[in-house]
Amino acid sequence: MLGKSFKIVEPRRFDLYIDDLVCASDEAIVKIEYAAICKADLRYYLGARDKRTLGFKYPMNLLHEAVGSIILDRTNRFKVGERVVLVPNIVPKEKHDCAHCVCARPDLGENYCPNSFFASSNYNGFAREYVNYPVEYLLKIPINLEPQLATFAELISVAISAYRRLSLNGKETIGVWGDGIVGYLLSTTLRHVHQGKIVVVGKDKGKLRQFKAHAHYLAGDPKISEEELEIAYECVGGGFSAEAINEIIDQIVVGGRIGLTGVAEEQVGINTRKILEKGLSLYGVTRSNKNDFEKALALLENEKFQADIAQLVLKELMINDITDFYRAFEAELENKSLGKNILRFNL
Amino acid sequence: MNIAVILAGGIGNRMGIVDKPKQFIDIYGKPIIVHTLEVFDNHPEIDAIAVVCLNEWMDDLRILLRKYEINKVKWLVEGGETRQLSVYNAVQTLAVECSDDDIIVVHDSVRPLVTHKIISSNIAGAKQFGAVDTVVPTADTIVRSVDGEKINEIPLRSELYLGQTPQSFRLSLLKRAHEKARAEKNINSTDDCQLVLQLGEEVHLVQGEKLNFKITSFDDLLLLKAVIKLGKTEIL
Repeated sequence: MLGKSFKIVEPRRFDLYIDDLVCASDEAIVKIEYAAICKADLRYYLGARDKRTLGFKYPMNLLHEAVGSIILDRTNRFKVGERVVLVPNIVPKEKHDCAHCVCARPDLGENYCPNSFFASSNYNGFAREYVNYPVEYLLKIPINLEPQLATFAELISVAISAYRRLSLNGKETIGVWGDGIVGYLLSTTLRHVHQGKIVVVGKDKGKLRQFKAHAHYLAGDPKISEEELEIAYECVGGGFSAEAINEIIDQIVVGGRIGLTGVAEEQVGINTRKILEKGLSLYGVTRSNKNDFEKALALLENEKFQADIAQLVLKELMINDITDFYRAFEAELENKSLGKNILRFNL
Repeated sequence: MNIAVILAGGIGNRMGIVDKPKQFIDIYGKPIIVHTLEVFDNHPEIDAIAVVCLNEWMDDLRILLRKYEINKVKWLVEGGETRQLSVYNAVQTLAVECSDDDIIVVHDSVRPLVTHKIISSNIAGAKQFGAVDTVVPTADTIVRSVDGEKINEIPLRSELYLGQTPQSFRLSLLKRAHEKARAEKNINSTDDCQLVLQLGEEVHLVQGEKLNFKITSFDDLLLLKAVIKLGKTEIL
């Protein structure tokens, strides 16, 4: 079946494609209804990766945070019209024979498989009218959940994976560095799944005040050390990663564990001497798996959690054509608020 | 019910190809008519499809429906001598099983780039107004010439639109329009909306898209092929 799609072909340039979708026997065709733009999408939009990497990526459909409705399911698992979240990481069955397979490891999982595909990274994303997608990677959204909020399932699943990776006992005091959307989602998720104290650290007082946490500190506050943080997550990324990670290294207790979630293009200088001195462990925790998505959707059934997430919806932007799509990317580039614009596809 | 009537009764004599009608021409491994039928078959609001086809191509069509798993086609109707008669044959067939209030979405099989949005607007419009026509505003100035040599008139561009399909109607209205035309021995109309207007009924506009163009010539075929880039780009 023919459908429209927007592919990035060079920095700040989308082209309209007409794709012919062929629905395989284990796939369904999903009409994309809602989506959100991630920082990784913005980096591809601006061309903020090295030239050779971009040469291999373009042309590509961006967006990996999306919700759609089923229009055809070859497997009969879903009914026509049912709303689903698309899990962006796919592990092809035929390539599932790696020498050091991590898919079955509970701490890592399929998203760390070298043979896996991730939509809008090494595989076409969801910036299109329809997508044919393996039903295995489609998850029905709860009836009481607005589809706009379900677009946050991907980020919440990452928060859940960050929690899972560090195998916590539920009582630790956790510090979250970063006053952006990832910090907000992680601290909010932790408030709902963890019993111990949640402390947030950031630079923007106004944003920090909106965070669901037990204590709020501005970066550099000496009182942070009194919290006796056993666990800390860095949700800053970019040029300020080093500053945040080094403050965590200073503030965390001996033997503490640190989860890194922020992406930085440049190499980050951190205080390794102190890591050795304090016997700290660092974990990379940006990738979630299907099971994390399932947990994210279960959490999103909780209406209190929904209300916390709803604060992140800034505007609903209607995407009637490619010019609206450009506008949405420019709007997200300008966005300095705590939250995201939700793209509503009407192609 | 919302029923699509897909017109595939033409022989495509403007294409030059003599061995098959244009709707059966293959585009990257799939005939044009299949591309069109898939859009309707996968539309959640379309309940059934009638295809009007030349008698000698009926078996080929049956094979394609089977091969590409097009499931909503309920009626295969024999094409008439003209477009109008083909639609009339479909209306006659549908009138037996369908109710007067059912919505009939008439579409050319050689407009494969019709979208779900256009079909949905047609259905909503026909339910509200009884008859709608899919149009796009014209970007070019239209010149009227009776003898083909000199200009008679340059109509105001802002009032001009290019008619596409689908054209959608409440079944009772479409039936009435065709019966009146037949009674008046008018059988050569290229447009069902014209027949509805002749009844004195209103026809409302629905926004189409430039890409929803009709494949009538080799140029159009080239355009369609250029437009359909197979979405199988390998990414590393």
